[in-house]
Amino acid sequence: MTQSHNSVSAASNNRTTEQVVVFSIGEFTFAISAAAIQEIRNTDSLGGMVMELESVVVSKVRHIIERDSRSYFVVSGFDHFHLPSSRPTTLLILAKTPTAVLVDRIEEMAEMRTIVTLPRSFQGEERVWYRGLTILDGRVVPVVDPKGFLTANELHTLEQTATEHQEPVDSVHGGGELS
Amino acid sequence: MNEEPLERVPSFVVAQIGSRRIALQSSSIAELILSPLLHTFPHTTSLIVGVVVRRGRVLPVLDMGLGLLGVPSTSAKFYLVIERHIGNVADRYAIPVDGECELVSGIMFPPKDESEFAIGSLDLAGNVIDVIDFEKAIARSLAVKSENVETAEALQ
Repeated sequence: MTQSHNSVSAASNNRTTEQVVVFSIGEFTFAISAAAIQEIRNTDSLGGMVMELESVVVSKVRHIIERDSRSYFVVSGFDHFHLPSSRPTTLLILAKTPTAVLVDRIEEMAEMRTIVTLPRSFQGEERVWYRGLTILDGRVVPVVDPKGFLTANELHTLEQTATEHQEPVDSVHGGGELS
Repeated sequence: MNEEPLERVPSFVVAQIGSRRIALQSSSIAELILSPLLHTFPHTTSLIVGVVVRRGRVLPVLDMGLGLLGVPSTSAKFYLVIERHIGNVADRYAIPVDGECELVSGIMFPPKDESEFAIGSLDLAGNVIDVIDFEKAIARSLAVKSENVETAEALQ
């Protein structure tokens, strides 16, 4: 007797509803739990809170942002998902991890009714990136795992490096611009 | 009489993938579906070009064009849903096909050509069609994809 796992059905998955923030990077749409986000900021409004990492040890992280005495490593969304470079205008500051994510724009807040596990045939980095898939307005949208933006090792390396080398972006470039 | 009982005559699904007509053993085919929408999102798994939704289920779409034709498949409205057994777990995949498929019964002959993935051939009114081993075709597609990536990297 065999068991079918891959063709993921809603029946085998969590049916409780969850508020999600729907955002886009390039041509792609993603969802992330609203509970995982502490703050959403326009990149133009960040000013002197942004510091540039002098030494880039994780290629997708080039900046750090200070908020309420806490530091957040700014992950480039298009670098993280290996997408062509885009023009991010929005920063998602995450709640339970010292990570902020640059995305192109927020599309909407939505209620996610179903999340299905990623089919087992997906065997790449997406298994770390996503909690699963959901269907919003007839579209299949990946639900991002907030812990997937930076691994524990990457965080450790960044934290070590950040304390040694950091400089306010304003003083270096006079702009505080994230990209 | 030397006829086999009807239930023992193997059946095959004949499908068109790009310019090539192929046959697959019908036991591995779950269904043929019409899906207008291929959903895509970033990932790094080779050969998967997106997913389709069928009766609330999310099915990965595997592009077999690289292995069978040497080039990626063009977009399709029809998908063959194929069941693969890996260990004791069955997985379902959709593969894009061009146009409708046929279900035929017949005797499988040895392959007409040496091929990495043909396990036999069917003679359909004079048209000889390769019967494809799906797993070998996937392996071939992965190899072609890998070669393409290496070539692209070498050119950079």
